[in-house]
Amino acid sequence: MHKLHEIQRDFSRAVWQTSPALPKGIKAGGTLAWQGLAIYRNNTRIGLTEALRDRYPVVNRLVGERFFDRLALAYLQAYPPQSSVLLWFGGQLAEFVATFSPAQDLVYLADIARLEWYWHEAYHEADGRMLTIAKLASLDPDCYGRMGFDLQPSARFIASRYPIQRIWACNQADCEAEDIINLGQGGCRLLLFRPALEVEMHSLTDAEYRLLTALAGGSVLAEIDADFEVGAALQKWLYRGLFTDFFIR
Amino acid sequence: MTLNRQTPQMRVDATIPASAGIGLRSPHQRAVLENPGRVSWLEVHSENYFGRGGAPLSYLDAIRADHPISLHGVGMSLGSVDELDMAHLQQLKQLIARIEPGLVSEHLSWSSFGGRYLTDLAPLPYQNSTLKHLEARVSRVQEFLGRQILIENPSSYLEYQCADYTESGFLHELACRTGCGILLDLNNLYVSCHNHGWDADDYLRELPANKIGELHLAGHTLKHVGRRQILIDTHDSPVADAVWQLYRAALRYLGKLPTLIEWDANMPALPVLEREAAKADAYLEACYAQAA
Repeated sequence: MHKLHEIQRDFSRAVWQTSPALPKGIKAGGTLAWQGLAIYRNNTRIGLTEALRDRYPVVNRLVGERFFDRLALAYLQAYPPQSSVLLWFGGQLAEFVATFSPAQDLVYLADIARLEWYWHEAYHEADGRMLTIAKLASLDPDCYGRMGFDLQPSARFIASRYPIQRIWACNQADCEAEDIINLGQGGCRLLLFRPALEVEMHSLTDAEYRLLTALAGGSVLAEIDADFEVGAALQKWLYRGLFTDFFIR
Repeated sequence: MTLNRQTPQMRVDATIPASAGIGLRSPHQRAVLENPGRVSWLEVHSENYFGRGGAPLSYLDAIRADHPISLHGVGMSLGSVDELDMAHLQQLKQLIARIEPGLVSEHLSWSSFGGRYLTDLAPLPYQNSTLKHLEARVSRVQEFLGRQILIENPSSYLEYQCADYTESGFLHELACRTGCGILLDLNNLYVSCHNHGWDADDYLRELPANKIGELHLAGHTLKHVGRRQILIDTHDSPVADAVWQLYRAALRYLGKLPTLIEWDANMPALPVLEREAAKADAYLEACYAQAA
């Protein structure tokens, strides 16, 4: 067993390039061994780079393939996969992009990366059934203040100082819209969720964002300081399938 | 498209027939769903369905209604010295309960060390101590899943100095000791034979024919490295003529077996995969006619 441990340790170091030494025990040795190892190293590097590119098509399009290759290489040295399940690889790219100095000029890139990751998460998140109006109809109006809502498991909120929804939309493969976006036009607040099989992205007003994030955090209506027509907003999101259930506290 | 969620709907029998199937990847999911039954069975990578819900699992449920499905794992890291990932096994067990696959398979390889995943299939030294390690892990997995798994021979680009067994001898022993089956990937066999100078006939003869439950076919790529020519298992092209020849030789020896066409990169339209499957079916029929 000891030997197997050594072999895997050395092989793993050679793939991750944390050791310049040739792992012991490889047949043929020398150049031939390095050539063999290089194939495994390439498989790991290319496999993970392409997995990341699949997950972040807009980031890839914004920075270009060659820059993305460098970004991916740096990322996978910093965050090597902790699981064999590629579905969950790449979740820290937004944080990483924010500290990746060659990308500092693209101030909105980290938010775009977060948006793409949330999209991916929402796509694979648990299914939730939709709360129906009928279920609410029987409710005593006196309870309204003590009422809260469960949101779809796929619900994700993102607030950005940049117009990331437009940047995202203009960089979809099938988009032919104008490609000049004024970064000074202001930020946006977005909600992503999946009422059925397709992920939806919605732009929220400040008031809606406050209401829905408070509900997502478990607040009941009486606790929410709302200066707008809450009833209409609740109805709108109920119809769109954002809520899976309600509770009275 | 509306789909019934997690419905115990009417399903075709789970058994994988001794005919050609194709590896189902996400670009073809819809086409298969809309044209059910054009391929006799399908195989998917288990880990692609480890999400908690959504379209991939819903589509797979719907596709399962009309097709037997085989679950092929790439991430169990069976040969690793790291602890078995029980969360991974638990997810696989749930997927098995949901999909009711005809076959479940994994690889004779390792892919993690110290919790860091290569996400590739690295080779093992075929020693007695490795065999004991694999024997314990395969048994544990089969016990946990409550079923037999098939173990696939990997393609490899290097070998280790210390070896008590050939790869086929190792697989033979492992199958006898654990009761696991063997998934014989003929493209991997061809690639490894080329890269290491092994003899494919010797390899086949050393395998226990009655333990082989499935065959894989795929495309590979020739790469020039220095003065060497190395074959790489790329799954990005049609099955090579030489691998078709090896397939015919294997069928004469093994008889009819479920045969999978794998294609993972530079993926063509579904009809191209169906044509590859039809070609495999023709060889399977010819093999049957000869035997009869």
